[in-house]
Amino acid sequence: MHFSRNAALSCQILAAHPLRTLLSMAGVVVGVAAVILMVSIGRGAEQRILDRIGRMGTDLVTVNAAPARLMMGRQRTVATVTTLTAGDARAIAEGCPHVVAAVAAVNKSLVVRWEGTNTTTSVVGMAADGFRIRNIPLASGRPFEADEDHGQRRVAVLGPTVVKNIFGTANPVGQEIRIGRVPFEVIGTTRPRGIDANGADQDDMALVPLDTAMRRLLNIPYIQTIYIQARSSRWMDDVEREVRELLRERQRLPEGRPDTFTIQNQKTLLLTERETARAMTRLIGGVAGIALLVGGVGILAVMLMAVRERTHEIGLRRALGARPRDVRVQFLVEAVLLAGVGGLLGVAAGIGATHAAAALAAWDALVSWPAASLAFAFSIAVGVAFGIYPALRASRLEPIQALRSD
Amino acid sequence: MIELENLTRQYVKGTATTDVLNGVSFRVEKGEFVAIMGASGAGKTTLMNILGGLDKPTSGTYRLEGLDMTRAGDDELSRIRNRKIGFVFQQFHLLDRVDAMQNVMLPLIYADGNVDGRAAAASALAAVSLTARAHHRPAELSGGEQQRVAIARALVTGPVILLADEPTGNLDARNGLEVLAIFQRLHREGRTLIMITHDPVVAEHARRLIVLKDGRSVSDQPVGQPRDAEAELRRMAGDAPGVQ
Repeated sequence: MHFSRNAALSCQILAAHPLRTLLSMAGVVVGVAAVILMVSIGRGAEQRILDRIGRMGTDLVTVNAAPARLMMGRQRTVATVTTLTAGDARAIAEGCPHVVAAVAAVNKSLVVRWEGTNTTTSVVGMAADGFRIRNIPLASGRPFEADEDHGQRRVAVLGPTVVKNIFGTANPVGQEIRIGRVPFEVIGTTRPRGIDANGADQDDMALVPLDTAMRRLLNIPYIQTIYIQARSSRWMDDVEREVRELLRERQRLPEGRPDTFTIQNQKTLLLTERETARAMTRLIGGVAGIALLVGGVGILAVMLMAVRERTHEIGLRRALGARPRDVRVQFLVEAVLLAGVGGLLGVAAGIGATHAAAALAAWDALVSWPAASLAFAFSIAVGVAFGIYPALRASRLEPIQALRSD
Repeated sequence: MIELENLTRQYVKGTATTDVLNGVSFRVEKGEFVAIMGASGAGKTTLMNILGGLDKPTSGTYRLEGLDMTRAGDDELSRIRNRKIGFVFQQFHLLDRVDAMQNVMLPLIYADGNVDGRAAAASALAAVSLTARAHHRPAELSGGEQQRVAIARALVTGPVILLADEPTGNLDARNGLEVLAIFQRLHREGRTLIMITHDPVVAEHARRLIVLKDGRSVSDQPVGQPRDAEAELRRMAGDAPGVQ
């Protein structure tokens, strides 16, 4: 059989029945597009996690003054414990060889007021070098310094959500606010940072110097958190070990008694999240793959219908000299053509949908070309697999019967 | 060229056996124009299918140019149908979404060798005087023109014999005569034709008439005074002046 001539004729015949042709391709188009869209969404989520890792630095270890429980994959502190002090932070900074710096912090939810508007936010008292260690970027103004901390100065740096809630579009720097009943001067604002690994909104908070918070606002002698900067991300596990040993010793905890604090290793936390995101990507990619398989069933169904409608044509070709093998090849080629064109359209649709979703959600559009090629190759395989049966049916038609049928 | 010896064809359905052909024997030489006539159920179509290699007899032999068709395999029969036999059907059986030229080229897809499809198709269309309509689709052609496209398709691979099954069955008188005129011209040019019909008037356009009854050949005579289709067409035009 003259393969290319027959293939060209097949294209013409398929194009002359647009409804039937589009119907058979529809499943494959949707399936391939779904795979591409789902995988790119998954990869976008992975990428955002990696970005967060990059932003926060993977050399941060956090000590929280409470035992933690693992709830829904995130660590949540359950009780308030009053065992950590600012002295512990100093001891860690001096006593642990792999630690560069340790920053003590307290926090409490308080009302912040300015000229008639108010909002409730998380007020965080933090030692001055916390800005550097925690990578907190400023949008305007300046951070407070160590001497303002020691002097218990009443200065505050506000997060963007707080600014929006009480200042609207006015410039907060230089303004006087009240935290609780105490007046503070706003000296700076931070840039948006989003939600951290524990689900806390890092934009809805007000930063004040540690001593100011402990003596003037909260009147407490203990702290809740210590932020520790490791020498590099290589030493994270060593830092965790050293800090745990030191704190247990300082608190005279005997062997077997559980920690009265929780150590969070940012790096492992985020890497775990990334693994989860990857598993999710594979799962939804797999589901989309099933959709593609269903698309193959669509090809099967419409091709069987087509074979029935083209019975005359098949009988005619046999009468004119087509062997059963020629008929089989013809219909198989048509199935592959349908699947291939459907696959290409699906890739185009998938890329379009990815860009549309990215624009809507303000992400980056991350098209995974390996996934797209795999989906396209799979669509061809689907075409072959689901085209075989109709092709066999077509080739087994008896010419006389076929010519006679209605 | 064609030798049939004691051809029988039986259909078995469950416990019922139908004898459609009961021992048909005849020979057709090169260049003959034969009509096969009979009432429906007499076995004409079955005989035609066997002659065309689309069916095999239950017993007996069929030789085409010396080759025993009853022993040929499926693939070989397909090749012979493509090269040596041209079919013309009652219902035309054209592909309706492609034009006349491509319809005529269809058998060439299954032919060996690199024939220039367009040239062969063009010359076949010229043989049936349809060059002007080569790029029209069947829906844009009259019944007679469609059947002429089918004849061109049957001619395109240069077959040794043309088999026509009730070729005028779906056509009106005028178009039927046009088709018969083409058959008679092809016959004058030396082609071999076998035509099946139930209509004695159509049969009288051939040169030899075989009559089938109950699966047997009961008469095999030359046609005494064959009709001339072209003359009849001229008379038709003359009877109704101004009608094209």
